[in-house]
Amino acid sequence: MKDGVYRNTCPRNCFGTCGILSYVKNGRLMKVTGDPKHGYTKGRLCAKGYASTQFVYNTQRLKYPMIQSPRGSGNWKRISWDEAYSIIAGKIIELNQRFGSNLASGYNKFSGNLGFLHYAVEGMFNSFGPHTKPVGNPCALTGKLAVNQAFGHNFSSNPEDMADTNLIVIWGANPAVTNVHQMKFIYEARRSGAKFIVIDPIFTRTAEKADVYIQINPGTDAWLAFGIAKILIEKGIDDEESIREQTIGWDQYKHFIHHQIDLSDVSKRTGVPTEAMEVLAEFYGNLKPAVTWNGLGIQRNDRGSHSISAINSLAAMTGILSNPNSGLYYMHFDIEHFPQLLLNHQGPVHPNITKSRDIDISNYSKNALALTEPPLKFLWVASRNIITQDQNLKSWHQLFNQLELIVTVDLYLTKTAKHSDIVLPAASHFEEEDLNVGYWHYWLSINQKSIPPYYEAKSDLQIARELTKKLNELSPGFSNFPFEKEPIDWIKEELTPEIMRQYSLTSYEDLLEGPHKKIEIAHSMPDSEKFRLLPSKETVTEQLQSENLKKPLTYRLLTPQTLLKIHSQYELVPWLNQEQTEDIIELSSTAAIQHEIDENTKIEIYNQHGFIIGTAKINPTLPNQVVLASQAGNNPINQLITQTDDKGANGSSTFFYDSMVNIRKWREKNV
Amino acid sequence: MFKRTGFIFNADDCINCKACEISCKNENQTPMNIQWRTVKKVAPELYLSLSCNHCDSPECFRVCPERAFIKRKDGIVQIDENLCTGCQLCVSACPYQAPQFNPETRKVSKCQMCYPRQDIGMVPACVEACTTGALNLVDLNTFEDEQTVRNLPGFSDVTVTNPSIIFYPLKPRKRYFLQ
Ligand code: SF4
Ligand code: SF4
Ligand code: SF4
Repeated sequence: MKDGVYRNTCPRNCFGTCGILSYVKNGRLMKVTGDPKHGYTKGRLCAKGYASTQFVYNTQRLKYPMIQSPRGSGNWKRISWDEAYSIIAGKIIELNQRFGSNLASGYNKFSGNLGFLHYAVEGMFNSFGPHTKPVGNPCALTGKLAVNQAFGHNFSSNPEDMADTNLIVIWGANPAVTNVHQMKFIYEARRSGAKFIVIDPIFTRTAEKADVYIQINPGTDAWLAFGIAKILIEKGIDDEESIREQTIGWDQYKHFIHHQIDLSDVSKRTGVPTEAMEVLAEFYGNLKPAVTWNGLGIQRNDRGSHSISAINSLAAMTGILSNPNSGLYYMHFDIEHFPQLLLNHQGPVHPNITKSRDIDISNYSKNALALTEPPLKFLWVASRNIITQDQNLKSWHQLFNQLELIVTVDLYLTKTAKHSDIVLPAASHFEEEDLNVGYWHYWLSINQKSIPPYYEAKSDLQIARELTKKLNELSPGFSNFPFEKEPIDWIKEELTPEIMRQYSLTSYEDLLEGPHKKIEIAHSMPDSEKFRLLPSKETVTEQLQSENLKKPLTYRLLTPQTLLKIHSQYELVPWLNQEQTEDIIELSSTAAIQHEIDENTKIEIYNQHGFIIGTAKINPTLPNQVVLASQAGNNPINQLITQTDDKGANGSSTFFYDSMVNIRKWREKNV
Repeated sequence: MFKRTGFIFNADDCINCKACEISCKNENQTPMNIQWRTVKKVAPELYLSLSCNHCDSPECFRVCPERAFIKRKDGIVQIDENLCTGCQLCVSACPYQAPQFNPETRKVSKCQMCYPRQDIGMVPACVEACTTGALNLVDLNTFEDEQTVRNLPGFSDVTVTNPSIIFYPLKPRKRYFLQ
């Protein structure tokens, strides 16, 4: 690699998808800066991004392929890549012979790296023919479906435009921690007079900065949206005729709000005083253009879909449909407009099995255990740390017992890697080529290979190329993966003439000069479409009923992202881990008094799935019935989380925030 | 003095994201336990991002027996590590814990206000990194804004060294906590 400055893109599951400039000397990453040509991140990174040199050159990074026997013993032995490929390919082929197909082989991959070329994992499995694969999106699916249902398509406004609005209302998002670059656009709007409102059960860093902060009982956002709609409707809507025309169901909606919503009832449910509702209604009624931001947090419970629908309806009646400068934010799925050739790679046809077996990723272990003929026997894990992030851990352990081979590809020896038979060292994004597109902003950017791989690390794509080659050596024609294709070939093929037009590119090389933004960004909906207002009577009744089900344990466990990690990523980077954060459990003053718990003492939170011990921190602003803990660490909180069975036909997000726990003082004998 | 370059920190805008702190480590590749800039929570909702304040009357400069410190014409207080013998008098004299002793090299280092960057017309790395614009540089000889203050709770006494930093305080905000 020549000395100089390279363009990289941060591939994390994050709103930023930041453009990075990498300063390289003698094949070593010396430092990074933000890419000033990126119009959303504007030459800046977050703290995690600035820790890149340590993320890359970290003594804890995996250097070589390793095998451990027995599994979980920690008795690791270095092996060569060729040995690793032989063992893995041997197992895949043997299972194929035993069961007559590859259905016993499967993978679990999620959001560890969102680059296009990391779909090599999916492409590799596709290349074997029918197998077992995860489907769905534990993070954002519920909200996606709700937005779709209202607008007829996926849609999230242009984030830079937030600077030009007069009202910003954030429902359940915390950009000051999870989307730092957005704050400058919010501040810009505020400097020119905009009002900035945050609605959240937690008094977050973003809430601290808001002009008006409204604390709300978790999961009751729909009620607050109805309450505000009620105030606005009672006052009279100026352009009611055009709203009626642009929407489906206006009269029913109005009727519902008018007859079934009672402000004091809303106030009781949400915990929001009527005065705050009046303030919010006043803003929503008078400040135009206004933007509404549906945070991911509000859809992490089983009422999430209703909440997003109710908030969208409020946005619809307050200008989103008529004022072109107003906006509605969630996240977008523009990546789906690309060919995604690796993801969609077509494998060979099986004589009698027509398609792969799908497993809902929100409930992977339980669903996988239920599979027979053949049972799942081989699992490939990439871009994923199951043991610290997934729910239903007990069934994961059962599944592990049934698996004959587990392979994990990662940069670090994660908890999941420790439960595997073989670990393969993954390249960091500085050590591989890729292409990235945002899911919040609309910028497309390149990721150059700027440094040689750390020891023997390889990219997911390189591993796919080499493993499929090995499979074909051992069993000719086993895989149809085009292993001769180089990363750059895959990148160029993503850039179809239509994509080039959308991102005003004349050639791939343009991206080497800087990120490119999509030229036309959908505003709300095409003229031909109408906004579908909610609720219909049925859904509301359903909602009312679901709320009456009293949960047996008394505290709702919220586990939002922390500043210096993304899920469990970066937990082994020392610059980012100087303060103790991981085993802190925050509880309200009321809960502390009730359970006689003092600050900084050990406490236990528990439910039927297990218990976690942590250090109590009393947070006087926390709602009484909420307990707050962070993800990952030595004692990962996901042990207490299970996904209830999926209700929606199209799947849902994981309802992480429906987990209930109880609290007790920690005593040795409890353990 | 031609210039008095100093920091201007807007507490109302700072979100405690620590980009400034880590970008300093990225730029200067300081060892693990050496923090030239740190962001701290000093009171509920109040965060301060602090480094060396390049004081007008630098105590470090006054107490150093090796004359390792210099005060440049633009106001930057610079330490020459080569002259440092590790006596740590500056460490105890500085009211802001700015000089950092490295037990491995037995030398003191501190924020140099990124003078190599400033000398070629660039802003310090921490200022560049601050996405909210809360941290900036100003020439305190000419800068005036009635809304700024010289001190905030959690910051040390400013009368001893006359630090080259000014602040915008937090603004009052409306909150509705659960009933
Ligand atoms: S902050 Fe401390 S080290 Fe910096 S100039 Fe002032 S006295 Fe010296
Ligand atoms: S001015 Fe430079 S050396 Fe000083 S704190 Fe900022 S980045 Fe670090
Ligand atoms: S980068 Fe800016 S906003 Fe972030 S902690 Fe530092 S001063 Fe505060």
